[in-house]
Amino acid sequence: MIRFMRLALFLVAIVLVQTAVMPYLRVGDVVPELGLVATVAIAYREGPELGAGFGFATGLAIDLFLQTPLGLSALAFSLTGYLVGILQGAMAQTAWWVAPVLGGLGGLIGGLLFVGIGALVGQEQLWALRSLRIVGLSALYDAVVAPLVFPVAAFAARSGGPRTAGASGGPGW
Amino acid sequence: MAVYRRSNRRRSILVLLLLTAVTLITLDTRGNGSGITDSVRDAAQDAIDPAQEAVGDVLDPIDDWFDGVVRSGDLKEENAKLRRDLARALGQASESRASLRENRELKALADLTFAPGLPGVDAQVVAASPGNFEETVGIDKGSNEGITADMPVVAGDGLVGRIADVSGRRATVLMLTDPKSGVGVRLEDSGTLGVADGRQGSDLLSVDVPLEVKVRKGELVFTSGTEPSLYPGGIPVGTVVSVLKPAGALAQSLLVRPLVDIGRSTYVRVLLWPGGGQGG
Repeated sequence: MIRFMRLALFLVAIVLVQTAVMPYLRVGDVVPELGLVATVAIAYREGPELGAGFGFATGLAIDLFLQTPLGLSALAFSLTGYLVGILQGAMAQTAWWVAPVLGGLGGLIGGLLFVGIGALVGQEQLWALRSLRIVGLSALYDAVVAPLVFPVAAFAARSGGPRTAGASGGPGW
Repeated sequence: MAVYRRSNRRRSILVLLLLTAVTLITLDTRGNGSGITDSVRDAAQDAIDPAQEAVGDVLDPIDDWFDGVVRSGDLKEENAKLRRDLARALGQASESRASLRENRELKALADLTFAPGLPGVDAQVVAASPGNFEETVGIDKGSNEGITADMPVVAGDGLVGRIADVSGRRATVLMLTDPKSGVGVRLEDSGTLGVADGRQGSDLLSVDVPLEVKVRKGELVFTSGTEPSLYPGGIPVGTVVSVLKPAGALAQSLLVRPLVDIGRSTYVRVLLWPGGGQGG
């Protein structure tokens, strides 16, 4: 229950920072997708189930503040969480570079899913070459902020008892 | 066997989440601004409003101070004390400049030369878009002040965009540069009509006009006001910065720079224009 509360608080904090602070920190006219990075961090630590679930909840919360259809980010984030969760089963790394690499990779996958699915559900404006530039830059930004987000995500997702490696997923942080 | 069951469970969860997301997307797309999803969105916007305003109050002066330092040239060789003094002085100057700028914006709004006689609601820009694929800003006035979706939004220099979403205490403005935006426009010299479309990831608009129309760089572009239009006619939109005539094309494409740089604007006016909601 406490773990659930921590995850919920983490989600609210991510959404608050994304909507209230990040618009002031645009670089190259893009903002990092904190929700996506947090989803990747949770999926990396806990596996595909929690990764997909957390991605869905975070994406849905962020969708409330966008003009794109409600559920689009939720769909892209949950798929990304699931994919990264599957991927982490084959990894046992806690090296310093894992966070930026996975953050960037997750940002790229999530961004491309958002653009692709968005175009399929009628957001034709997303189907443009410039979208790829935005996704690429945003993924780089995601890689930069990932080392800050991963430890917080690990704290939010840790269970009360002693952690058993591989019980619910992969490596710790 | 256990591994198989676990894998099945994972897939079931994923399928459930995906179906829920697709259902929500369908509901939201079909609801077209009047469903339960919009009520939830409005409530969320109102809930986060105080946090956004508080963060804005804290970060705006820092932003101005940073602007001042960055624009003052290379101070790296200066000693630490001089740098601190200079930064402080620049910060104060930036604050003064910001106040002067706000005064100018408010005066420009009070003396609008276009849309005469149209009632409006002055509002402060309090938030920028949290996403990467849309050009929007949040303002601190909403339906409590009579604002409804699709009303035009202007600043002292010209058109900013239209209201995309509105809740009780705030509204979201879809800017001209958003790819979903399209404005009926008229060229200043020839009177030729066209549609100024936003372009993904660009701060310019594009307008297609027939090849035979003579267009000059710097020519002004106004809203056309032709029926049905979301915007009254005669509002300055931007100036032509480039004319593209690709070989074999049936039309020439004009690139137009909007007159209003919303990134540097603090105040806007929502025109209570009854034409809002009728078309593009």
